[in-house]
Amino acid sequence: MKRIIKVWLRMSSMAAQAQLLTNWAGVMFLIGKIVRFLMFLLFLFIVVGSVGSLAGYRREQVILFYLIFNLVDIASQFLFRGVYQFRTSVVSGNYDIDLVRPLPSFLIPVFGWMDFQDFITLLPLIVYLIYFLSSGFISVSLLGLLTFLVLFLNGLALAFAFHLFVCATCVLTTQIDPLVWIYRDLTNMARFPTDIYQKGIQLVLTLTVPVIILITVPAKALMGALDQKWIFVSFLMSGFFLIGSFKFWWYALKRYSSASS
Amino acid sequence: MKKYFLVAKLTIQEYFEYRLNFLLWRLRNLVSFLTLFFFWLAIFGIKEEIFNYEKSQLLTYVLGVAFLRSIVLASRSVDLSGQIRSGELTRLMVRPFGMLEYWFSRDLADKILNISFTVMEMGLILTIFKFPVYFPANLITYFWFFIFVILGILLYFYISFTISVVTFWVDEIWATRWLFGIIFLEFFAGAFFPIDVLPNWLTRLIYLTPFPYLIFSPLKIWLEQLTGPMMIRAILICFVWLIFFWRLSLDLWRKGTRNYGAYGG
Repeated sequence: MKRIIKVWLRMSSMAAQAQLLTNWAGVMFLIGKIVRFLMFLLFLFIVVGSVGSLAGYRREQVILFYLIFNLVDIASQFLFRGVYQFRTSVVSGNYDIDLVRPLPSFLIPVFGWMDFQDFITLLPLIVYLIYFLSSGFISVSLLGLLTFLVLFLNGLALAFAFHLFVCATCVLTTQIDPLVWIYRDLTNMARFPTDIYQKGIQLVLTLTVPVIILITVPAKALMGALDQKWIFVSFLMSGFFLIGSFKFWWYALKRYSSASS
Repeated sequence: MKKYFLVAKLTIQEYFEYRLNFLLWRLRNLVSFLTLFFFWLAIFGIKEEIFNYEKSQLLTYVLGVAFLRSIVLASRSVDLSGQIRSGELTRLMVRPFGMLEYWFSRDLADKILNISFTVMEMGLILTIFKFPVYFPANLITYFWFFIFVILGILLYFYISFTISVVTFWVDEIWATRWLFGIIFLEFFAGAFFPIDVLPNWLTRLIYLTPFPYLIFSPLKIWLEQLTGPMMIRAILICFVWLIFFWRLSLDLWRKGTRNYGAYGG
């Protein structure tokens, strides 16, 4: 494990150096991410503030959902950005070189490219989240905070499982972008409390691409509004998705044809 | 004219070659629509009016955004960047095409395909959710809506073409397109929410940019919320931006083709 973390840190450092070389693009992406975050925040402050509540949640709670959405979204982009580059590796046959390395086969496809811009945006977001929680808008208990942290990590495991599934699909079909973008769009649905959606849609968001487990459940735990059965459901879903994704990954890997080599 | 018709036809055939990608793209649009639709439905709750919008008007706005995304923002001129970078543009340049006409034909094909699917999807949504849709009472409103949509289509085409042409000088164009062609454009065009819910000073500032004339202004006309003087001002600003981007895209194209190295071509 220590060795893998060391390898990941080295890969991340190299990725950061490469991203710093294209300064102009990096600045553009950074500005875009900040503008998007601030515009939605402003919009929620104004719109939910004017009506008082959304689906039974006060404005501050709705903002907290939005902040947790950003935290989970940016953290998973930061960690799993490698997936976006995996197709090139498969199509060119370069993945052969990664496979012969003494590393877990999924390490480079999923974790091979740390997103430095996401890392930069993650830090101020965490600072703002801590400020938001400590300013008394929402009362957070120690138990709530601990449950949130556990569910947040569980959510990241689930996000990893989904990204691994996408990589496995890529090995079999050489397609990756449509699946990743649908995942991103469905994740965006949890930018707002998912209670606003109809039951059928909520079921889809729990069982297919479980963004409710990923974002809504940790956010509810933090604000002390979580029904405890969801903790059990969250672990069950993560376990199910992790096992399923690994099985699918091994299945796909056996069929890897080293396309262009 | 016939050759551009053929270009449009071939563009549609390309889509049918990659059917799954196209269907997934439509699914993405549907997900975006549902997110906004349920958000506003929940915001209204039992209320009938918010920010000077009646419930039917705001839900029509969300529906209108889905339509105008298909008509105005659907585009293939984005591909020009890739062609410049890969050198594939050379193959196009030796053919007897006007470049603007060629890319506009591809854009139109893209719009036709997207709008046909949007009509079906929205028809289905309306059947399932049965929400009230706002239709203008005055016939003249339909005329002005049509004019604004045409202006929006032209304006977006020249904006998109200009961004693509920048690839002649810059290798990394995706970041520029993402910032100006997606983030700024979608927020300031009103593709997420009507921009007049924002503070007055910010709305006034956004009115000076080219973006509100792509989605927000046509929909405000449909909802009959633009008075005569407001409409004239909107048309004037839109025209100024249209001429600016038309001129800019032509100048950049001319300079760019002189600078073109046909890497990899």
